[in-house]
Amino acid sequence: MSHSELYVEIDRSAYTNALSKSSPITKTFFALSALIICVSVQTFIVPVVVFIICTILILGLAKVRARLYFNLFVYPTYMLALSCIFLALFFGSGANLIEISLPWFTWSIFKSGLIMSITTFLRVEGALSCLFFLVLTTSITDLCVLLRRIHMPQVMVELSMMIYRYIFVFLEISEQMSLAQTLRLRRSGWLNRIRALSMLIGSLFIRTLDQGERTLAAMNARGYDGDIRILEDFASPKKLVLLGIVIFDVLLVILLFLTLNIGVI
Amino acid sequence: MHIMEGFLPSPWWQIWWAISLPIVIYGVYKVAKLTKKMPEIKPLLALVGAFVFVISALKLPSVTGSSSHPTGTGFSAILFGPAITSAISVIVLTFQALLLAHGGITTLGANIFSMGIVGPAIGFAIWWVFKKTRLNPSIGVFVAVTVADLMTYVTTAVQLGLAFPTDGSVFASFVTFFSIYAITQIPLAIAEGLLAVLLFSFLSKYKGSILQKLGVLKIPLTTTKNEVNSQNAV
Repeated sequence: MSHSELYVEIDRSAYTNALSKSSPITKTFFALSALIICVSVQTFIVPVVVFIICTILILGLAKVRARLYFNLFVYPTYMLALSCIFLALFFGSGANLIEISLPWFTWSIFKSGLIMSITTFLRVEGALSCLFFLVLTTSITDLCVLLRRIHMPQVMVELSMMIYRYIFVFLEISEQMSLAQTLRLRRSGWLNRIRALSMLIGSLFIRTLDQGERTLAAMNARGYDGDIRILEDFASPKKLVLLGIVIFDVLLVILLFLTLNIGVI
Repeated sequence: MHIMEGFLPSPWWQIWWAISLPIVIYGVYKVAKLTKKMPEIKPLLALVGAFVFVISALKLPSVTGSSSHPTGTGFSAILFGPAITSAISVIVLTFQALLLAHGGITTLGANIFSMGIVGPAIGFAIWWVFKKTRLNPSIGVFVAVTVADLMTYVTTAVQLGLAFPTDGSVFASFVTFFSIYAITQIPLAIAEGLLAVLLFSFLSKYKGSILQKLGVLKIPLTTTKNEVNSQNAV
């Protein structure tokens, strides 16, 4: 699945999942608190627990399609695995685990490097699951409303919404123009390809700008005063659920201290 | 260059957040001031944001816990200056973290510092120097954007080096990380510089009045009066 399709899918899921109607405050609070606890530790048990719980919540409670959820992991995990192998092979200090004598130098793999690599891998996977919980269950519009509630400057919220909209305009127009160029034989020859690409990007920029100016004119005509008002019809957070999340966080922190001395190897 | 969610261990992500936050707040203040003075600039701000989003999502994997890609923020710095660019990059990096799992919320501070603060600031300084000379603006744009892109990666390599020292040496680790980046990043930076030159000449040809208003170009452009509707330009 290409990237542009993937985030259209994320957007769709954010509006259609089973938790889409519940309070964004609860969801954001859960995701961010779990994320911060997960990232703050150097052990590996807490991230694994966070990963399992987030996965259960996403697939079981929010009823997001499992295929989409695991698809999201493919690319980050691939990059992460490469990086962690690199960390394990070249980093660390102290006691050697393996020593390989090559003709020109001795290459040693350190125990601390290996531990660092494994904990980093698990930490990132745990953190990613928290992030995916947030985006798969909460729409960007809800998040923008939330930002306004916490008194983020109005101009930033407005700019966020415009940038979000423009990303889709940008992609749509570039798709149309690319198709039009293909129909006009842009791929005939190397020089034509370069020329076509430069024309595409240049006119994409100007066309999107024009579209944006027209949008602003239309908004001004409808009494736009720098504030995009949305009907904020989301549910207020349930106190019981919030309490549950606090208890969960406290349990995680306790688990963190209990497992502080358990090593990976 | 986006460092992945959770990749930076504990003291470092908090430190980078603490460093970036005051600069971003200043950037937000500048954005508020600019949009109050020129409300018609908002579409351009948002467009540059979308441009940075799309262009920095074109990534090549790199083994350094992040990736290699053009940044787009050098061009934004030429148009709006480094402070406003930092505010735009906050929004863009948050969206990338949420929608593409590219970067993260906890590593946002570190990513803002490299892509939204250091790169644009250096790019802008170079552009400012070139503006004083009588050289063709295209040369200035090319050098500024290319260097801004490379400096972003130098900063990321420093951040990774600090967080993951080899044998206790930050510098050795920095050299390792940067030499890995350099393989993919130097050609990408040059390509981004060329693209920026192209975009800049397109903008000055068809939307010169906006560039003049932003104070990017001082010389009255002869082409400004020929400004055309994009429908004819394509």
